Amino acid sequence: MHAPEPAPGRGGRGGEGDLDWLLDRVARGDQAAFEAVYDALAGPVYGLICKVLRDPAQSEEVAQEVLLEVWRAASRFDRAKGSAQTWVMMIAHRRAVDRVRSASAEAQRDQKSAAAAGLVSVDEVAEAVEANLDRERVRRCLDSLTDLQRESVTLAYYGGYTYREVSKLLSVALGTIKTRIRDGLIRMRDCMGVNW
Amino acid sequence: MKLLRHELHTLTGAYALDAVDDAERDRFEHHLNRCQSCSHEVHGLRETAARMAMAVARTPPAGLRERVLTAAATTRQLPPVTDVRPLPPPRGRWMPRLAVGVVAAAIAVVIALGISLAAARRQLDEARAQQRAVAAVLNSPGVRILTRRTSLGGTVTVMVSRREQKVVFTAAGLPRLPRAKVYQLWLLGPPRTRSAGLLPPPSGGGTTPLLASGLARGDSVGVTVEPAGGSAQPTTTPIVVIPVSS
Repeated sequence: MHAPEPAPGRGGRGGEGDLDWLLDRVARGDQAAFEAVYDALAGPVYGLICKVLRDPAQSEEVAQEVLLEVWRAASRFDRAKGSAQTWVMMIAHRRAVDRVRSASAEAQRDQKSAAAAGLVSVDEVAEAVEANLDRERVRRCLDSLTDLQRESVTLAYYGGYTYREVSKLLSVALGTIKTRIRDGLIRMRDCMGVNW
Repeated sequence: MKLLRHELHTLTGAYALDAVDDAERDRFEHHLNRCQSCSHEVHGLRETAARMAMAVARTPPAGLRERVLTAAATTRQLPPVTDVRPLPPPRGRWMPRLAVGVVAAAIAVVIALGISLAAARRQLDEARAQQRAVAAVLNSPGVRILTRRTSLGGTVTVMVSRREQKVVFTAAGLPRLPRAKVYQLWLLGPPRTRSAGLLPPPSGGGTTPLLASGLARGDSVGVTVEPAGGSAQPTTTPIVVIPVSS
């Protein structure tokens, strides 16, 4: 159980390729590699879940489930389908929205009232505790969207709403929301220089 | 027909953000299998979404790291998918892996208990039977892992196999109880509530895995604080209840 050899980008964003490599090691049961993956991604996992669920105690529970799932299911990571970071964030987001959508009607009402505040969520990006390179870039790119694109994308992703719910919340036709989410994300992708 | 396909294609964004309901997700994934440009687009949009996640990073609560790493150390990993379709492998193929799992789990228990090798040898047979049962749960296809915080602090984790009708239970960070009290595990069912055993006193922050059999539809797992020796039925309000067979 020795440390992984080239000691790749621990904690920093030295390279996403390093995380891919680490996750392959995790799949083979390397606990030191898992610690490195934890250190790189626990913050974003917890932050994203907090964003969707809002309740810190619940977010911690879900974050723990997600991070344990990363360990358990590491062999299912397929780098042909995306980066390690993306794979982990997909699990985190999916678990968070599952929790929201399986919650009681009462809890959903809470979430909806919180969502009115969700409309200002662009500003909340600034609240993020940890400074990182992505934050500035994401904010700049979100600013480059139209208002409707930005609201649709942030309500769907950070708010955990379905596009049908977004359509209701914004009182905009369903088809319009669907295309705005797509247009908005494509613009984000190009603005952030995501190569895929 | 053409319109329909176009409509489906524009769902890439909502799909990449999990902003679709289950029925739509199924329909779209069906489409995705046949539409290469769609799946390429979905990959790019998911990478984009992940960057948005990196931007909202928050320092995780103290203690999470240790809990996750501790849980990982005692959690068996899924084998890689070798089929084109991720179907659960036939039962027989698990046996060699099961054997490895049993030994690994037994070793983990020995370490967890901090018992000497000589004592370990005497206890190994007993432990092996218990660990075989634990491993069977962990290896069973579709096992679910749920973690909840208790009202006294600390967390409990259950690994549920509906196929085996069994639950493996562990706890971490539960407060130490006075000598006259114990933690008792229950299967709380609509027909009746059954004791699933007493939790061994926490050592080093965690408990060794406890196995509960005879899980029935509608059951929840609960923990109460009971007088030493346990009770026939819960006498206090559960500190945590986890619905396990939805």
